[in-house]
Amino acid sequence: MTELLEQLSSELAARTAALQGAVAAIRLPRERHVSAIVWRGDAVLASEQSLPQREQFDLVLPGGAEAQARLAGRDAGTNVAVLRLSQPLAPFALASGEARSGALAVALGADGIGAASVRLGLVNHAGPQWHSLAGGLIDRRIALDLRLARAEEGGPVFSAAGAFLGMSTLGARSRVLVIPAATLERVVPLLLKEGRVARGWLGVALHPVAVPDALRGEAGQPSGLMVMSLVEGGPAAKAGVVAGDIVLSVNDAAASGFRRIAGQFGPDRIGRKAVLRVIRGGTLLSLDALIEARPAA
Amino acid sequence: MSALPQVALAAALRVLVRATDPARREALRQLVIDAGHLPVDSPSGADAVLSDQLQVEGFAPMPEPSPRTLFTPREVEVLAGIGDGLTNKMIARRLAISPHTVKFHVESMLKKLGARTRAEAVAKAREHTLGNTVEF
Repeated sequence: MTELLEQLSSELAARTAALQGAVAAIRLPRERHVSAIVWRGDAVLASEQSLPQREQFDLVLPGGAEAQARLAGRDAGTNVAVLRLSQPLAPFALASGEARSGALAVALGADGIGAASVRLGLVNHAGPQWHSLAGGLIDRRIALDLRLARAEEGGPVFSAAGAFLGMSTLGARSRVLVIPAATLERVVPLLLKEGRVARGWLGVALHPVAVPDALRGEAGQPSGLMVMSLVEGGPAAKAGVVAGDIVLSVNDAAASGFRRIAGQFGPDRIGRKAVLRVIRGGTLLSLDALIEARPAA
Repeated sequence: MSALPQVALAAALRVLVRATDPARREALRQLVIDAGHLPVDSPSGADAVLSDQLQVEGFAPMPEPSPRTLFTPREVEVLAGIGDGLTNKMIARRLAISPHTVKFHVESMLKKLGARTRAEAVAKAREHTLGNTVEF
């Protein structure tokens, strides 16, 4: 038993030493920092929500060397920010793997002076794809059974075999989530090329409401999404949507909740038609909107 | 996340009022005064915060409404009015309905939100509205 523990312990220490070349620190004001992943070539990835609104950042690279990087792009939807180093770095080979519920996960953070801090836990849950509040599509839901300091957010998460699972992210109530490697592979090239991830957009703020009793039969559903406000000149406004309309469906997706219609606003929907079935003043009507790209924030 | 403490049992509190829109800020200040408290501008020494911005901590999934907390369209409109710091009369004017009807909706919603005072209802209404409104 002692041998087994010792083995596990020294394996973890050796693994950490081997993988800490993938972790950099991004300096923040007041002696603070957040963690980042050394990606391919001259790119460094970080958690978008943890990064201040700036263009230029000071980094501490693995080993302790200092470097400068410029913001290449950020996407609040998937919580990914990409920085471009002024001097390219020897790439660190990351081999992606899939997270499995119950498997061990090792989360690395930056200590701020060139080495890594480490957390060990279980993959608490590996589930299907999900949409964030900001509308981004995350390829898998991965939650970890460990705690993470703020400075450690944005670092790489590995499986016990050393496979790269994704980037650590603090979720609601300090839950630790992982932005999967598959999402990073999809989003990072877009951010490097265009600086942002374009998403489909109608220009409406929606709030869930109960469909009035008298209309339930006709509507075919007990709840819908009420238009609280519209962006002037936005796609919905141009289609004739007004505040107070209750949206019942977008194309063939029932608007009984946000998650069901979230899939209607992916990047591939820009320039396509959205058929909105709405209740207005006690009657059902159908409006055609043309989905546009969400304007940059 | 902002919430106004139970006003009924406390002495006058120093309430930090935060809003980007000046008109809304003024409405919130007035509300604090009406509740017998003191609006302040600086976080130092403040006992409570009344803010028009819901700070969702962390990277969160899209919310999914639960059927139990689903309001009717009219209730949502009244709720938005409360959240904006409007009086019943102002809400009635905005929605072109009688103040009596507004009062009825407000009372039913105070119950649903579990709020005992109007100031508490404002904080909870705002929290509920912002936390369940998504832009597409």
